[in-house]
Amino acid sequence: MWYEIFKFELGYRIRRPEAYVFFAFLFLFSIMGVDFIFQGVEIGLMKKNAPMVIAKTMGAITGLCMVMVSMVMGVPVLRDYQYNTEALLFVNPITKRDYLLGRFLGSFTVLLLIFSGLPLGMMLGSQMSWHPEEDMLAFNVLSYLQTFGVVVLPTLLFGAAVFFVTGMLSKKLLVVYTQGVVLFVIFLLTKAITNEYLQGLLDPFSLTTLTQFAKGFTPVELNNVPISLTGILLHSTLFWLALGSLIFVYGYRRFSFSALASQPAGKTKIDLSVAETAPLADLKIPVALVQDSFQAQCIQLLELSKYYTLSLLKETSFWAIAICGIIIILINSVNLGTVFGVDSYPKTYFIIAELQEMSMFFFIIILLFYSGELVWKERDIQQYVLNDATPIHDLTSLASKFIALVNIYIVLMLTLMLSGIAFQLYSGYYDFQLGLYCSGFFVEILPYLMLYTLAAFFFQVVSKNKFIGIFLTLVFFIVNIATEFLGFNHSLYKFGGKPLGVYSEMNGYGHFLAPYLWIKSYWMVFGLLLLVLSAVLIHRGTATTLWRRIKGMRHRITPPLRYTVVSLLSLFLLLGSYIFYNTNILNTYWTNAQEQVFRVRYEQELKPLEYFPQPKITAVQLDLELYPEERSYILEGTYTLTNTTDSPIQEVHIQKRIASHLELTDVVFEGGATVDHRYAEFDYTIYQLLQPLEVGDFIRMDFKQTYYPKGFEEDNSDVQLVYNGTFFNNTLFPSLGYNNKYELQDEDERAVYDLPERADKAKIDNPNELVNARSGGDSDGLTLDISIGTSKEQTAVTSGQLIKQWTDQDRNYFHYQTAGPIINFYSIVSAEYEVQRDRWAFDDSTTEEVELAIYYHEGHEYNIDRMMEGMKASLSYYSEHFSPYQYQQLSIMEFPRYASFAQSFPAAIPFSESLGFVLDIDDETDVDMAFFVTAHEVAHQWFGMQVEGANVQGRNFILETLSQYGALMVLKSAYPQEKVDQFLELQKDIYEKERRKATSEPSLALVENEDFVHYNKGAINMYRLQQLIGEERVNRALQRFITDWRNYQGEIKSTTRRYPTSNDLLEYFRAETPEDLQGVVFELFEG
Amino acid sequence: MKLTITDLSKTYDNGVQALQNVSLEISKGMFGLLGPNGAGKSTLMRTIATLQDADGGSIFLDDLDVQAQKHPVRKVLGYLPQQFGVYPKMTAEFLLHHFAVLKGITNKSDRKEIVNALLHKTNLYEVRKRKLGGFSGGMKQRFGIAQALLNSPTLLIIDEPTAGLDPKERNRFYNLLGEIAEDAIVILSTHIVDDIKELCTQMAIINKGKVVLQGNPLQLIEQLNGKVYQKSIQRTEVAAYKKAYQVVNDKLFLGKPIIQIISEENPGNGFTAVEATLEEVYFSQINN
Repeated sequence: MWYEIFKFELGYRIRRPEAYVFFAFLFLFSIMGVDFIFQGVEIGLMKKNAPMVIAKTMGAITGLCMVMVSMVMGVPVLRDYQYNTEALLFVNPITKRDYLLGRFLGSFTVLLLIFSGLPLGMMLGSQMSWHPEEDMLAFNVLSYLQTFGVVVLPTLLFGAAVFFVTGMLSKKLLVVYTQGVVLFVIFLLTKAITNEYLQGLLDPFSLTTLTQFAKGFTPVELNNVPISLTGILLHSTLFWLALGSLIFVYGYRRFSFSALASQPAGKTKIDLSVAETAPLADLKIPVALVQDSFQAQCIQLLELSKYYTLSLLKETSFWAIAICGIIIILINSVNLGTVFGVDSYPKTYFIIAELQEMSMFFFIIILLFYSGELVWKERDIQQYVLNDATPIHDLTSLASKFIALVNIYIVLMLTLMLSGIAFQLYSGYYDFQLGLYCSGFFVEILPYLMLYTLAAFFFQVVSKNKFIGIFLTLVFFIVNIATEFLGFNHSLYKFGGKPLGVYSEMNGYGHFLAPYLWIKSYWMVFGLLLLVLSAVLIHRGTATTLWRRIKGMRHRITPPLRYTVVSLLSLFLLLGSYIFYNTNILNTYWTNAQEQVFRVRYEQELKPLEYFPQPKITAVQLDLELYPEERSYILEGTYTLTNTTDSPIQEVHIQKRIASHLELTDVVFEGGATVDHRYAEFDYTIYQLLQPLEVGDFIRMDFKQTYYPKGFEEDNSDVQLVYNGTFFNNTLFPSLGYNNKYELQDEDERAVYDLPERADKAKIDNPNELVNARSGGDSDGLTLDISIGTSKEQTAVTSGQLIKQWTDQDRNYFHYQTAGPIINFYSIVSAEYEVQRDRWAFDDSTTEEVELAIYYHEGHEYNIDRMMEGMKASLSYYSEHFSPYQYQQLSIMEFPRYASFAQSFPAAIPFSESLGFVLDIDDETDVDMAFFVTAHEVAHQWFGMQVEGANVQGRNFILETLSQYGALMVLKSAYPQEKVDQFLELQKDIYEKERRKATSEPSLALVENEDFVHYNKGAINMYRLQQLIGEERVNRALQRFITDWRNYQGEIKSTTRRYPTSNDLLEYFRAETPEDLQGVVFELFEG
Repeated sequence: MKLTITDLSKTYDNGVQALQNVSLEISKGMFGLLGPNGAGKSTLMRTIATLQDADGGSIFLDDLDVQAQKHPVRKVLGYLPQQFGVYPKMTAEFLLHHFAVLKGITNKSDRKEIVNALLHKTNLYEVRKRKLGGFSGGMKQRFGIAQALLNSPTLLIIDEPTAGLDPKERNRFYNLLGEIAEDAIVILSTHIVDDIKELCTQMAIINKGKVVLQGNPLQLIEQLNGKVYQKSIQRTEVAAYKKAYQVVNDKLFLGKPIIQIISEENPGNGFTAVEATLEEVYFSQINN
């Protein structure tokens, strides 16, 4: 008997389109599966079709498609109730066993068939030509099938059991819809479990389980390890299968045929006797005025919006989703803005960012489900026969539904804001910035949701039922995200435009806000047009096909509607033109492809000139007028160019920074020159000196550079010149000769254009780069003399001593001058600053005092003292153990959080807002990272400025690793050993995590740009070294290294043009290391 | 005030010809549309109620073309469909207010007045704050008529209103309808002959998409007077009698079959003459 029911169920479902739609979706999605799931995540050394990669992709896709499982398995029993066949079916002599088993197995079989799309799609995807050969293993059907069986099948069984039971016991379709979400929510909850084993066990989609499973293997080994039912995978599978069976058994017991036939709770009929009294026969029915004016329609809009908002608020499923969401968010919000293992103060912008990220998923779910619910509401409950016979305009009705859903978003956002404030209160932080909360949600997120809601409404209107509408909207979402990665992202055609830029307390939303508002307005007008279109196409009365409705459109367009459409369309075109004018006419818009081609041509045409002999810049004199309100500047400057080569120099090649609205004019050479514009398209100009520059001789070059941005760009991401917090360095100024930073960097892209492979750093013995300290070294040291004018509220800071400060015509002026030569890498900041000053001297006697200053944004005083301490402690340590500090000043300058680094320039350390200034350092549990980072940056004044590394492999060993060492020693001198240990633990964690993702791991001696090697491994290994041979010996080695190799005065450096390499450095270490430990030194740095 | 239906036709996608050249002229008062299930009544009602488009023909409410000018028609229209749902979580009063807003009664005090009056009139005032999900069939029907009357319609379409009501509720319903019919065109469709008898001044019989008879009920009955005969027979004889005579009805009385026939003259053979009623008129038309 169960077989009959099974056959029926199977037959019924096979005939339904959902089965095929789901299959098609899964299949197509799985073809791109690996790329989609792993986009942005480095797989590193694992192959794209390694069993582990397949497993994780399958697990993730199953998780995402849990909604499908719920829709397939939740309905079998529910259906009988829905179609009222239960009364017919259950009086027959079928047993509970036959019925439930038949239904379950029938639907589960269909579910398996649907999910067969997953391995099939992935298999097909792996054969696609866009995967490069070396990323793939040999094709093995077994890995797919085995992985499917181990990872997906248990999840499907569990999901099937749970959803079947809940559908059967609740008898409500909406529960079926939402339970897929609930499972996803549980998945997110497991992320909060810290015990890794438990987390792996309880992960319903096996993602963390797989991570645990992979723990014992290296990435290379993982390519060959099949995913088998062992270890934690076995435990997890057993757990979920057991849980699933328990739930199924429970459901089985609870179910009874009579229970099904009775009405769900809460639907008992009213006692009729109440309503039996005789009506008032002589009551006259008044005549009410039926109005159709514009005012009346507005009232209708208002009243209907209230009605629909209320109906949404009464939905229990809505509250379920909302509460789930808030719980998840609060659990996950525990760590905010964590940097280097230390939390920041719960600043409003951090909280908002966290809340936004976590809640987006829930907002989208609510958008998808409830736009469907609202549009189909009257049809679902068969009330449309009443509604559609009233004179209500379709636009009024639809618009009120839209407003209702937007109200719901607002309610949820207000709840999120309250939770954020509650969290801040709980953490003892009281600067709530309510305005920021409002803009964070209502300006940054709400428009986006509104636009997609309008799109969802449109898709619902053109679909045959709610379910297809949700599906189409989902596909629309995915297509939008996907096209972004393919390079289609101009705001005029990418639906919805772009997100608003990062919020900084220094610069607010800066110049990002205006373009954002223009573009959002443009899209909102489009959205309204879409709404009107939807209103004209929506079902009214008996259902008709879409085609018929399209044909009947003209009858539904009334004159007022026509008028509205024409106005909206004009507004749309107007806004579009204005935006286009800004992004494409005032500014240049390049597609990804165009940009690539430019870079390729740059390299092809100019690379041969890379090592063309050029003079070196030995002095720079600048007059810079900054206009922060306009984000513009005017620069008049003079370079002193000296011929340090062996022969006379005839040509000077000037590369202007390639950027729009940047003009380089009035380039005048002392003695005159003729201009060769043949490479003008690359802003590369060749000047033929009228008189050759003799060896050792120098000439002056005057120039003028102006930057004046106009309108707004499509890619609004320039963060160097902003209203408050200008921060840029001399790479903005003209440079000499070829600049390899303009080359195409991505190796896959280079391959497409047949360009040779590009190393991040030249080989360690490359003679051309040994004489450069940085790419395109235009100088071996220069003196800087710079006057900066800025607005009267701002302070400008750069390298050198402030020799004069004055105001003129309501502007502030600062004149800086360096005492001696500095490296050709200096920065300029300008902002409204508070300053804290102090002094430091090596000892009480003869050495001059160093002026210390920290320039910070008002309100960011939290860690100023720690930074000041850090400066003093490092200056003391490094001066004592390495060499004297070479400048008379040292400043830290805060810049906006668009970037999260700190950087060292001569006597100046720009420090990001989000790095040290707002860290909430708990002296008991945290390492004082503000102190440490300061010490690291100060160390660069030695390693990077006193001594420079040759621009080859291993350069970062000298610069970064030695700075890590220095900072570590300073930390050790100021804090107890446990803090040092804690710090090293963190370094180890980061190192372990990053190396698994990496494609290669060179030794420290040959390191290129691998952060995890020169920062994290470097710190650990240097600490090891000083443990082995003693801090004193290491310091002595470094001292001698500096003495020999420092710029201009180094014993060895002054005799050669080349800069030191890691090999040179290692000699000094080896000299201080006893025989028996020489091997260890080799291991640490060259192994 | 007149509703003129001319040559209205509708064929569904599955080939069913629901309406075939239906023509009717309906003026003020209660008009009954009688016909068996599947005759096309609901299709006709829905088309007049602007919910459906016909394939051919026209409907005019005085000068308004019902199919092309739906909006003005809806302003004066009241429609009680055969089957409808309501949002179960809302109260009767609240939902009635909602419908009033939909119908354009935007003045709050006006609305309150009419909603209260109708709640009283349909005897739902006591339960106005109860959720509609708990209403019985009869109460729901009363709610349905209440919403149809909100805008004091001049064209009231009522589709099979008493199916599923018990006799007491049916009576109450008719009393209510009788009151309203004086100043409006009220079209009542049903397959229960008694409904027409009790209420309608004009009627039409529709079968298989065609109008087979129309006119004043009394006159139509008059036409059959003296031609109706009946006889009590055995069950086994029914088939034979059907072949021999124009049998319009075979019903049961106390378990035994009685057949009624139409005959110009007295057929003898144990038949007795009976007075014609609307039932015989009806059956004579649809059994052809």
